[in-house]
Amino acid sequence: MVVTYARRHGLQPLGVGIGLRRSFYEELPRTERALDWVEIIPENFLSLGGRPQRALDACRERWPVLPHGVGLDIGGPDALDVDYVTGLAALVKRVDAPFFSDHLCYSRLGGVYLHDLLPLPFTEAVVEHVVPRVREVVARVGRPFLLENPSYYANMPGGTLSEADFLRHVVEEADCGLLLDVNNVYVNARNHGYDARAFMDALPLERVAQIHLAGHTIYPDVIIDTHGDRVCDDVWSLYRYVLDRTGPVSTLIEWDQDIPSMEAVLDEADLARAALREGAGR
Amino acid sequence: MKPSLKHFFDSMGTYLARPGGESLEELYTAHPEWRAPSSRVSLYGDFVRGHVRSALEKLFPMLRGAVGAEAWNALVEDYTLTRPARHHEVNHMGEGFPAFVADGVSSRGLPPHAPALARFEWSDFAVFSSQAESPERVERLTPNPTLLVLEQPYRICAYVRAKGAVVVPQAGDELALLWRHPAHLVTYYQEATPHALLVLKMAVEGLSASDVAVATGMPEADILGAVARLSRDGLVLSPDA
Ligand SMILES: [Fe+2]
Repeated sequence: MVVTYARRHGLQPLGVGIGLRRSFYEELPRTERALDWVEIIPENFLSLGGRPQRALDACRERWPVLPHGVGLDIGGPDALDVDYVTGLAALVKRVDAPFFSDHLCYSRLGGVYLHDLLPLPFTEAVVEHVVPRVREVVARVGRPFLLENPSYYANMPGGTLSEADFLRHVVEEADCGLLLDVNNVYVNARNHGYDARAFMDALPLERVAQIHLAGHTIYPDVIIDTHGDRVCDDVWSLYRYVLDRTGPVSTLIEWDQDIPSMEAVLDEADLARAALREGAGR
Repeated sequence: MKPSLKHFFDSMGTYLARPGGESLEELYTAHPEWRAPSSRVSLYGDFVRGHVRSALEKLFPMLRGAVGAEAWNALVEDYTLTRPARHHEVNHMGEGFPAFVADGVSSRGLPPHAPALARFEWSDFAVFSSQAESPERVERLTPNPTLLVLEQPYRICAYVRAKGAVVVPQAGDELALLWRHPAHLVTYYQEATPHALLVLKMAVEGLSASDVAVATGMPEADILGAVARLSRDGLVLSPDA
């Protein structure tokens, strides 16, 4: 039997979480709805006092908190931002997060933050560049670390590996976990014309320790990963497909734009919880 | 890092510093074998530029209205070219914007109160997100640790309070006080009135109401009233709160 990344690190499936977004700072800590854990974007808590801190403390009293960063810049050419990583390590300890995560991308060039998740070329050279950086981050933070498969709208130049092989090489050689964003798989499969299920079969699923579900926006010639809608039926069905292969995995509903209400996000979380339960029963 | 990877980042860096038709062509010239559709690659230029714009539009809504659409677009475009995002937290890129606005008042024909308004709006955010947390209890009257004082040649406080009902602020020196309310955690602001300055002085120097009454001849009840009111507003933190 394969020993999963989660088991090796004593990580239990936590159920379904939603993100602590600015518009939820007051209502989320008081909700009486079902919620198993809360995701935070560490960048919103590392250098901003006041409201975010009060909301974070209130959530931490009720739920496990998992930091999911956007600014680590694991693939970029700049040296790791030591202040950022030090702050992140302190935040991870403060909320006692069982693990933390960021994206397999770059987000800074020449000291300038791009505030976006930019795709890397799928090459051995990138794998070689990223692996020691992951190891350095894990050493500095001292907790298990997951990398997310990002969405991308164009293949970057010089690619020699398939996307799935690229992801596999990075997480296996760096020995980190995989945060599988199922909506990203769907969006990428549609944008690049590949089969989402075959792609997932090619991933090291034994390393998946968290799943993301989100909505997207369909344009005539591209689908954008906006996190601005409900999870679509195809993504729900891919989610079940993954769960059948991984067993229960901590799952996040990501809804970051055009959020109708926190209740609507929690409704999506209820659907994910039902799918998790159903999966466990199969 | 392999030279090929460095070449990739350098070329993307050049493109993202100034996304546009010309720089996109240069990017493709740097990678002759690259077949990705340019409409997809240019999305990244749009995204990166868009993040600067949306951060500025959230931070400076009143300034945006005051300068008009055309001047605003030019300000945003030119500020973006200065590559202001040097911090992992996105709003930090607005910190240098008031000075940038001030530098362009005459050359861009901006309204003369634009720099003061920009500074006020940035200070509003800086106070709101200040890392100086108010202690839960204080032993004596204490100034709010998030307090910011702005000296400006326009009556910006009254202008902001009017919420658009006043077209331009009145000229005239103003000392504006901005602080984060310790319980509501939102920014409060007011002109520095004699009462507000007196209560702040009491907090900084540890003066009692009776000392101040003796020294100034003001009725002690007035002083206590001002202390109570400004403690409620959170300008000062009181041990009785
Ligand atoms: Fe995600």
